[in-house]
Amino acid sequence: MSSNINNKITGIGQILRKDWQLYLLLAPMVIWFIVFLYTPMAGLQIAFKDFSLFKGIYGSTWVGFEHFQTLFNDELFIRSIGNTFLISLYSLVFAFPMPIILALMFNELHHAMFKKTAQTIAYLPHFISVVIVAGMVVSFLSPTTGIVNLVLDYFGFEKTYFLTNPDYFRPIFIGSTMWKEAGFESIVYLAAIAGVNPSLYESARVDGASRWQQIWRITLPSILPTIIIMLIIRIGNLVEVGFEYIILLYQPATFETSDVISTFIYRVGLQGSQYDIATAAGLFNAVIAFILVYSANRISRKLSSSSLW
Amino acid sequence: MSSFNLYSRGDKVFGIINATLLTLFVLSTLYPFIYIAASSISSGLAVTSGDVLLFPKDITFAAYDRVLSDPVFWTSYANTMFYTIFGTLVSLAIIIPGAYALSRKRLLGRRYLNFFVAFTMWFHAGMIPFFLNIRDLGLLDSRIGILIAFACTAFNIILLRNFFESIPESFEEAAKMDGANEFTLLWKVYIPLSKPALVTIALFCIVARWNGYFWAMVLLRDEDKIPLQVYLKKIIIELNMDDQFASSLINSEYSFETIVAAIIVASIIPVLAVYPYLQKHFNKGIMMGGVKE
Amino acid sequence: MIKRLLPMLVAGIVSASVPTTSAAATDDYRISEKPLEMTIHMHFRDKYAWDENWPVALKAAEMTGITLKGVASRVGTNSQEMFNLMMVAGDLPDVVGGDALKDNFFKYGMEGAFLPLNDLIDEHAPHLKQMLADNPSIRKAITAPDGNIYYIPYIPDGKSARGYFIRQDWLDTLGLKQPQNVDELYEVLTAFRNKDPNGNGKMDEVPYFARQWPELIRLVTLWDARSTGSDAYHEFYIKDDTVRYGYADTEYRVAIRNLAKWYQEGLIDQEIFTRGARSREFLLGNDLGGMTHDWFASTSGYNESLADKVPGINLVPFAPPASPTGVRMEENGRIEVKPDGWAISHANEHPVETIKYFDFVFTDTGRNLFNFGVEGEHWNMVDGKAKFTPEVLNSDKPVNAQMWEIGAQIPVGFHMDYSYERQWTNDIALAGIDMYEKGDYIIPQFSGIAMTVEERKIYDKYWPNILTYMLETQQAWILGSRDVDDDWDNYMKRINDLGFEKVQAALQSGYNRQYK
Repeated sequence: MSSNINNKITGIGQILRKDWQLYLLLAPMVIWFIVFLYTPMAGLQIAFKDFSLFKGIYGSTWVGFEHFQTLFNDELFIRSIGNTFLISLYSLVFAFPMPIILALMFNELHHAMFKKTAQTIAYLPHFISVVIVAGMVVSFLSPTTGIVNLVLDYFGFEKTYFLTNPDYFRPIFIGSTMWKEAGFESIVYLAAIAGVNPSLYESARVDGASRWQQIWRITLPSILPTIIIMLIIRIGNLVEVGFEYIILLYQPATFETSDVISTFIYRVGLQGSQYDIATAAGLFNAVIAFILVYSANRISRKLSSSSLW
Repeated sequence: MSSFNLYSRGDKVFGIINATLLTLFVLSTLYPFIYIAASSISSGLAVTSGDVLLFPKDITFAAYDRVLSDPVFWTSYANTMFYTIFGTLVSLAIIIPGAYALSRKRLLGRRYLNFFVAFTMWFHAGMIPFFLNIRDLGLLDSRIGILIAFACTAFNIILLRNFFESIPESFEEAAKMDGANEFTLLWKVYIPLSKPALVTIALFCIVARWNGYFWAMVLLRDEDKIPLQVYLKKIIIELNMDDQFASSLINSEYSFETIVAAIIVASIIPVLAVYPYLQKHFNKGIMMGGVKE
Repeated sequence: MIKRLLPMLVAGIVSASVPTTSAAATDDYRISEKPLEMTIHMHFRDKYAWDENWPVALKAAEMTGITLKGVASRVGTNSQEMFNLMMVAGDLPDVVGGDALKDNFFKYGMEGAFLPLNDLIDEHAPHLKQMLADNPSIRKAITAPDGNIYYIPYIPDGKSARGYFIRQDWLDTLGLKQPQNVDELYEVLTAFRNKDPNGNGKMDEVPYFARQWPELIRLVTLWDARSTGSDAYHEFYIKDDTVRYGYADTEYRVAIRNLAKWYQEGLIDQEIFTRGARSREFLLGNDLGGMTHDWFASTSGYNESLADKVPGINLVPFAPPASPTGVRMEENGRIEVKPDGWAISHANEHPVETIKYFDFVFTDTGRNLFNFGVEGEHWNMVDGKAKFTPEVLNSDKPVNAQMWEIGAQIPVGFHMDYSYERQWTNDIALAGIDMYEKGDYIIPQFSGIAMTVEERKIYDKYWPNILTYMLETQQAWILGSRDVDDDWDNYMKRINDLGFEKVQAALQSGYNRQYK
């Protein structure tokens, strides 16, 4: 037995010696992760403490799962989990494919100048703060002067105060986020497409494949590993919807569909500086996300060669 | 690529529909920028009373005068340039070798290491522990601290690793036969081959640095070191406050909105300018990939 | 009283006879013979950080011998976060100050982070002691649940903040008078809606609008209901020594029923919930808005700034219309004591000198310094009153913004002097303010309850959800998607299920301890 372990250790030693260059390349990144991301994770313990800024992370008293109990006894928190999930799920279905489609469309443009300009413009909204985007959404949807309602009115439909109606919140939120980010997110796929070997297209063209067929048979399969990685990451974010944009768009009247975990925490926790509750909710998020990603990753590893780890 | 004559009629129709749809989309994304640009050169009153929708009204450069004459604007602009350029370099210096190593199949404990990186996408320490850690490292209120503490994200590493993985192993074998070590292999083969991916990662780093303000707010204390986004935030707070507490401030020349618009325009332009330059490499990448032909 | 007057007399005589920098004037306030330097963390209004080079701070240092050196970050854009980081970082500075810190001062004071000031005040701070003796309600408001005082507060002066404004020119056009009660108001708003007072031939008028939608809810006071108890929205109020909440009163039901009707009939801006901060400029600038409820100072400036764009615009303050029971109520006013101020940390090695410095701010000289800036530079004494110099009054920047930049009018423990603001408030606003104060319309603002740890736990546990539910229902009622009369019994039952009575009881016990 012990000789086995010894063999193994000498084996590892040999590998390290032989491949020392590879491990040297790896070292800075690993050290960086340990120093900047893993060390402070000790602070996650405040999820189980009655955290006082004055007593500090280690000086505060333990309360066990009290914060988690508080959260789960709260029907509004439960509601916010449901809302988070639904918003993420819908955006997975509708918004996730959008940058892929955009990238494919850009790739099919052959006028160089137009292509370049179009791409540059498409990623513009990413730089415009959500405050301004929210302002524009509000004015487009204004019941009296908003363009959407003017159009509805013109075609004889009744004007609607969209932003106070819970039924419309999700489409508004997802649609506008998609519009803002799709151009920027398409860059990843454009880069992947740029890596596709051009000889594949040449031979497909010789075989008489149409552009449509080329997309399906060459481009998409080639960028599939990227798509899968992005999809797994996205699945991991199913329980995370940022609060910045939502708080600009939501109203008490739409809380029913718009109140997500992060906005709930924002109202309950951080406004009163309750870092312990917020950390508990964050930890809960992370665990759920982790379970989701773990499963998605397993499935992906079985079905394709791409995986996060 | 003079292959136009190879396209069938169906392909042409496809091309037209494609171009039309894209044009519509692009126009819709252009609008907010036009609105902001128009606001930045309109009078304050015209903007706040909703008269500016597409074209500027009562054209004035008062907002730009106000912004560009503020020395703090220029320091923060220079700071942002500094953080963006050097921050991106630091990021790439850590990310590229790391992602390369992770992409090698023979790396010992590769799955665990990948897991080690991916894990941080969901588990983060939160602001307070993060701050205390930076303080313990002695990196508070330091430019170096800002450059280093935000060098990596798991997302960028995984993305790049994935691109490296997609490069056929035959390249590595061929280079090894020629006696290349890991460093030359990475530098001479992998980096040139994955230019589009590297450009993407660089762009993500640039954009994150350019837009970031939260870290600066938590870690810096000295106003000489602030980036542009913090300056913008401060202006917004100041103007908002004047607005709320002071006697009426509707200045016909500029207003809260036009100043913010002017700062946004001034801050977007460099990132916009850099994009076409980076974009070139998307096509270059194809050429390099074409080695195999 | 003599004790209190003496320094002022001295200061008055001295400043009248010799330049302010004279040794005689400064020595009266000297606390430390050797220059003493202490640290202060003070980040406030999300932007400013205490700066020892402010003219006010320099002057105070010259007079007292104590320099407070600012250690707060000048980068932060969130004062609460800056306070939190300072606390968690451990080594506290000598003095901690800022806005909206009362609860933190209480909480961490009871944990030992800040010194109890009671004895220090009694022994070393005659002016503070006198002020607290003269104003027992202030003393109660700043006393923590353990009976200690942990911070010296910012005490505002003046009473009025917001008031009702109406387009007098529209009233004149339609031959109407300012509404004196809620029924007349209903008629006026209906006329605004239907009779085209802006004369453009379209029914595009927005009779009542507000920048913040809670100002719509504030209209419940027209039917004797309440929307809040303090200068913040959605707070508890006190009636006959009981802690009450407006959204759980029966008057509220009647009021909401009426507001829903008004909204339905288009008397209230149909977009009030989303129009946001710029609705005032937009609706007044386009000659659409008829009436609002907003700050006197800022709202009174539009007649001048819009004179070219909207000829004849005449937006004037008017008295709160009387409710059906005849009460004219202005719910919003200035609070007696702000949750802002400064405290002495446990790490401070010179608590006596520090409390003396705090006390200096409550001498007449100190008060003038922290209200108006440096005498001779920013203001001069005219007929016994501090008067800003023309440079300050005529600057492009508003006076308060100028004051913040020199270190005056900042949320330290000081007593504001309303005459500072009066000097640059315009006549329209002044007329309104006088009308509201003479009519005694403004109801007292409640300074809040200092909760014990247990009370705070109950409040934190139940309150956010109750409030969320109340606001959701409130909007649904007003928008007409639900009906208040159908819902009322369920609503009352539901808020109790969510813990309303528990919260109310916790607050009541806190109130009894603190104020009774």
